[in-house]
Amino acid sequence: MFSKSKKGKQKFIACTEKNKKFEFINPKELYIKRGKENIPIEIVSDKQGFVYIVWKKRKYQVEIIEKNQNQYEILVNGVSYSISVESPFSYKRRKYLAKNKEQSKVERIQAPMPGKIVEFLVEKDQVVKEGEPLLILEAMKMQNEIVSNIQGKINKINFNPEDTVMKDDILIEVER
Amino acid sequence: MKKIKSILIANRGEIAIRISETAKKMGIKTYGIKTSKEPGAYYLQFMDKIIDFTEIVSDIPEFLDIDRIIYAAKEYDIDAVHPGYGYLAENPYFAQKCNDEKIIFIGPSPDSIYKLGNKTIAKQLAASHKVPLLQGSNGNIRDYKHAKQLAQKIGYPVILKAASGGGGRGMRIVEKESDIEKMFRMAQNEAEKAFADPSVFMEKYVRNPRHIEFQILADHHDNIIHLGERECSIQRKHQKLIEESPSVALNEELRAKMGKSAIDIAKASNYRNAGTVEFLLDESGNFYFMEMNTRIQVEHPVTEMVTGYDLVEWQIRIAQDETLTIRQEDVKLKGWAIECRINAEDVQAGFTPYLGTIEKISYSKGKTCRFDSGITEGSNVTASFDSMLAKLICYGETREKAITNTLTALNKLQIQGIKTTIPFCKAVLNHHKFKSGDISTSFIAKDMKKLYYQEEDEEMIAAFWAALNYNVELETEDQTYVDYEKGKNMTPWLMNKRLKSL
Amino acid sequence: MDINGKIYKDFLNRIERFQVQNGPEKIKKQHAKGKLHARERIALLFDKDSFEELDAFVTSATPDTGFGRIDEAFGDGVVIGHGRINGRIVYVYSQDFTVMGGSLGSVHAKKIMKVQELALRVGAPIVGLIDSGGARIQEGVASLSGYASIFHRNIQSSGVIPQISVILGPAAGGAVYSPALTDFVFMTKNTSYMFVTGPDVVKEVLNEEVTFDELGGAEVHARKSGVANFIYEDEENTILGVKKLLSFFPSNNLENPPFVEPKSKKEKNIDKLRSIVPDDPNKPYDVKKVIDLIVDQDSFFEVSEQYAPNIVVGFSRLNGKAIGIVANQPKILAGVLDINSSLKGARFIRFCDSFNIPILTLEDVPGFLPGLDQEHSGIIKHGAKLLFAYSEATVPKITVILRKAYGGAFCVMNSRNVGGDYSFAWPTAEIAVMGPEGAVSILYKRELQDAEDPKKLKKEFAAKYRQDIANPYIADEKGYIDEVIDPADTRNKLITAFKTLENKHVDQPARKHGNIPL
Repeated sequence: MFSKSKKGKQKFIACTEKNKKFEFINPKELYIKRGKENIPIEIVSDKQGFVYIVWKKRKYQVEIIEKNQNQYEILVNGVSYSISVESPFSYKRRKYLAKNKEQSKVERIQAPMPGKIVEFLVEKDQVVKEGEPLLILEAMKMQNEIVSNIQGKINKINFNPEDTVMKDDILIEVER
Repeated sequence: MKKIKSILIANRGEIAIRISETAKKMGIKTYGIKTSKEPGAYYLQFMDKIIDFTEIVSDIPEFLDIDRIIYAAKEYDIDAVHPGYGYLAENPYFAQKCNDEKIIFIGPSPDSIYKLGNKTIAKQLAASHKVPLLQGSNGNIRDYKHAKQLAQKIGYPVILKAASGGGGRGMRIVEKESDIEKMFRMAQNEAEKAFADPSVFMEKYVRNPRHIEFQILADHHDNIIHLGERECSIQRKHQKLIEESPSVALNEELRAKMGKSAIDIAKASNYRNAGTVEFLLDESGNFYFMEMNTRIQVEHPVTEMVTGYDLVEWQIRIAQDETLTIRQEDVKLKGWAIECRINAEDVQAGFTPYLGTIEKISYSKGKTCRFDSGITEGSNVTASFDSMLAKLICYGETREKAITNTLTALNKLQIQGIKTTIPFCKAVLNHHKFKSGDISTSFIAKDMKKLYYQEEDEEMIAAFWAALNYNVELETEDQTYVDYEKGKNMTPWLMNKRLKSL
Repeated sequence: MDINGKIYKDFLNRIERFQVQNGPEKIKKQHAKGKLHARERIALLFDKDSFEELDAFVTSATPDTGFGRIDEAFGDGVVIGHGRINGRIVYVYSQDFTVMGGSLGSVHAKKIMKVQELALRVGAPIVGLIDSGGARIQEGVASLSGYASIFHRNIQSSGVIPQISVILGPAAGGAVYSPALTDFVFMTKNTSYMFVTGPDVVKEVLNEEVTFDELGGAEVHARKSGVANFIYEDEENTILGVKKLLSFFPSNNLENPPFVEPKSKKEKNIDKLRSIVPDDPNKPYDVKKVIDLIVDQDSFFEVSEQYAPNIVVGFSRLNGKAIGIVANQPKILAGVLDINSSLKGARFIRFCDSFNIPILTLEDVPGFLPGLDQEHSGIIKHGAKLLFAYSEATVPKITVILRKAYGGAFCVMNSRNVGGDYSFAWPTAEIAVMGPEGAVSILYKRELQDAEDPKKLKKEFAAKYRQDIANPYIADEKGYIDEVIDPADTRNKLITAFKTLENKHVDQPARKHGNIPL
C-alpha cells in the first residue's frame, strides 16, 4: 500500500516491461539515490513548453505519451519506456501473478496498427508454426505480414479480406 | 519556350514547401492544392494562392487526379506544373497531358518517363549502352514455375521486383527455393495493389551492396552533366532513412566511371531535366545499374549542400528552355552532407507508422544545418499520407564533422506528440561502423544490434518521471476537497417540489 | 471499574483473541494470493482512522453436522461498519476470505443486511467489498435465504442511495446477483471472477474447457458482458477508483451532487474545439478530446470504457458541478447506435436521473446499426430503452449536436421534443431524416436510374443535399434547436445553461413506475 512509513517515507517501485525495477523514496523530494548518495534532480521547461529533467549535469527531454492508472508510457529523448508504478504490496502481487499466470490456451493475434486486411494466408483449423505468416495487413500503403507468435491450430478468423481493422482488434485466434 | 511565371505545385508536405521557396526566389507565383484530408496543412501557408480541392468529386486521391489538376491549371491560367516526388511525378500519361494542354511539365519528356519507368525497358536501354547490369529475368515472369526456373539459373538469393515499382513496394528477396512460390505471389499481389500492374521481374541479389546514385542534369541543348553521387545505403525494407554525399566508397576514378555510365543512360533515353541514376556497388568496386528515377529525389538536398547548386531552380530553368551553364569540370564536391529522414514511425515497434498530432516542435537551423519540414505545431499525422515528416540535412568540411554536426542538430530537434525516427538516426550516427564508413544496404539488419539510441540512465529517468507523476497524482486526488455540503443547499422551491414528487 | 480486575481483563482478553484472528498470519495468507486482507481494504477506502466496526464479535451460526470445516472465529467472515470518505459517511461490508473462504452463512448475511438497512435509513452510500466462495453449504437453505434478503435490500435501496460493488476475489453462483443489482461494479484484473456457473460445470455440461479468466475475469466483463463498469490492475487502484467515483455522487436521491473547485480557472485551449471535428463527414475523430476541452481539467471519469465503445458515458464536472456525459464516439463504428450502446447509455442516464446529476449529450450519430443480427436481437426494443431513459429523466438535459444527427437517432439522443431542455448545434452539424447518400437514392431514384454516370450524379445530388438540407440552420430557423454556437464558446454556454436549470423540476403523473421496455 502507498502508506507512508513512520518516518514519512513513501516507497514507489517503478517496473519496466522487462521487470527491471527502480525504487524511489518520496520522489517529490526530487533526488535519485545512487549508492549512498542522494543526487538532486531539477525539472525545467523551456519557453516552448518542452519539459526536461536535469540530472548529473545531463538534460533529458521527458514526455508522458500515455497513461492508464499506474501504467505510464514515457518518452525520454524520443525513446519510449513502459513503466508501471507499484507500491511494495502491488509489486509483490505483480510478481506473484506473473509466476502463477495460467497460460491461456488461446493466443489472440491483434492488429499492431490500423489498416486494411489484404488476404489471409491461413484457414481455420490449419496448423501453424511459430513465426509463420497468418495474414497481410495493409497500412500506410505498406503490406505487412502478421505472423503467429506461437505454434498451434487456427481457432478462429475474425475478419474477411478487404475489412478495415482498428489497432488491437483481434484478427486471429490460435489454439496452443 | 516562354518564361515560367506561375507554378502549380501538385504535391504536399515538405517538398511542396521546398519547391515554393525556390519559386519565390525566382519571382514565380505558386499555387498549392488544398485537400479535405488536411485542409489546414502547413505547406499551404507557403503558397501564393490556394486551389480548393476539398470537395470530394471522385475516388481518386487529389494529387493523383490528373484531370482535376490539369483543369485547375487551365482554369487559373498557370504556366507550369511541378509534381515533386511520388504521386504524378513519374506518370508519363500526366506529362503527356500537360504537353497536350500546353502546360509546362517540370520534368523529363513523357517518353523518357515511360522508358525509364518501366524497369524492363530501362535495363534493355542500359544493356545496349554497355552499362553493367545484374543478371536477371530480362523481362517479366510468367508464373511461379517460371520464377523457379529462372532462380535456379541465376542462383539464390534472388530478388523479385515490381516492373512498374519504386520505393521498395513489391520487392521480395528469396533466399531459398521453398519460399519462391509464396514470395512470388506476395510480390505480384503487392505490385497489383500499389501500381495496378502485377508484372514482376527477377534479379540476382547482391549481398551487402552499397546503394550509390548519381544526380544528373540535362538541358534541351544536349548539355548533360552529373553532380556527383549520393550514398543511400542506410535502408530498411528498401526505404532510405539516411543519405549522404559524397560516398566514402568512391574515389575520383570510380566516380568518373560511374558518372559516365549515368550520363550514358540519360543520353540513351534522350533525358531532359533533373534525374537520378541508381547503382548497386559491390564490395569489390563492381557497380550495376538499378534504375533511373525521373524526378527530384527526397535526398536531393545533400547534393545541393556539397555542390552549392539549387536543383529545383535548375529543374525550372531547364523546363523554360534555358541552357545549362554548369560544365562538368565546374562540379566540385566540397565537404560532406548527411540527411536524416524524420518519419512518424515507432522504431521500437518495428518502424510501424505512428499517428497523432504534432504538439510541439523545436529545431535549429543554420549555415551547416538545414531542416526541410512539412510539419508545424498542430499538424496531424494521418494514415492518408506517407510517414515522412521532415528531413534534417547537416554539413561539415569532413565526414567526421558532418556526423558531429548532425548529432548536435538531432539532439536539438524535438518533436512532441508523436514518435519519430530521431532515436534511430542517433543510433546510426553513433555506430562505430557508420562512423568508419563501413556500411551497406544490410547495415540495419546485420550491424545494428539496437535500432534506437539510448543513453545510460535514460531508463531510470523514465522510471523516475513515472513515479513522480504518480506520486503527485495520488496526492492531488487525496487532497481534492469534495464539498458535499453544497449539494445539500437547495432552494426551498426545489426541495419542496422534490419531496412532494417522491 | 478496577483496571486490574477480572472484568477488565476479560474484556482485554477478548480483544486480544480478536486481534490474533486478524493477525499477520491471516494477512500473509491473503497476500500470498496477491490479494489484500478485508481490513486492509477498508483502511484504504476510508479517511484515516475513521472506520467504526459493527458486530465484530458475532460468531458463526453454522451447526456442526460433522461435514465440512467450521472456523471458530469472530465476525463470521465479513467486516461491516461505516467510515468517512472525503469526510462523508459511507457504509461498507467487506468479506473476509480468510474465514471459511468468506462464505455466506446466515450470520454473515444478517451483518450485510444490517449495514444495508442502516445505509438506507440514514441516506448514505454503501460499498460492498466482495471476496467470497459463495453460499455456505453447511448452512443450506439458511444461506440461500440470506442471499435473497440481501438482493431484496439491494432493490429497496436502488435509486435511493448509491450502491457500489467491488469484486476483489471470486463471486460465483447466486453471489453475482447482488453486484448486478447495484449501481456500479468494480473488478480487479487477474484476481477477481464473476460467473453464474464455474469452469468445472461448463466442462461437465458442455465439454468446453475455459479458464477462470476467460469465463468471468475482469477483462471479459469489462469488454464483452458489460457487467464490470470499471477494471483496474490492482486492488489499491481499484479502491482509489471507488473513491473517485463517489466524489461525483450525492449521498441520496434528495441531495444534489457535491462540488469540487476546478483545478485551474485558466481558459483552456478551447480554440482547438473549432478544428476538432473534420469537415469531411466520414472522417472519424475522438469525442473524448471534445469532452476534455469542455469540462473542468482532468475531471472526466469514464464509465464502462471498454464495453460498447461506440458510445462514451461518464461523469465529469462543469465549473465544479457534477454532470453525466453521454457522447457518440465517431472513432468507433462511426458512433452508430447498436443494442449494446443503447443499453449502456440508457442505464447510465437512469442512474444520473436517480441522483439528480444533470446530463450533457454530445451528438454525432449516423443512426442505428442496420442488419439482420441487430434487428433479430431486438434493436427495436433495446433502442427504445435509450429513448425511454432520456424522455423519462427529469434532471437538466442539454444536447450539443457536433456533427451528424440523422433520423430516429436524432429523436432518441435527447432532442428537445423528448424533453431535452436546450439543444445547441455546432456549425458542422447536419440534421436530417437520413444521410445524404441514402436520401438522394430515394429522392432521385428515377434520375439516378436514367443517368449515364449515376455515381457522379449521386455525388452531385449528395453535395446539394448537404448544402441545402443537412445543415443546422434550418433547424435553428424553425426553432427545433436553440442556437448554433461557436465550438469555442461551448463551455461557457453550457455553464450558463446548466446554471439556469438548477431549479428545474418536472411534475410527473402519479404512477407506480413507468414500464420501460425491458
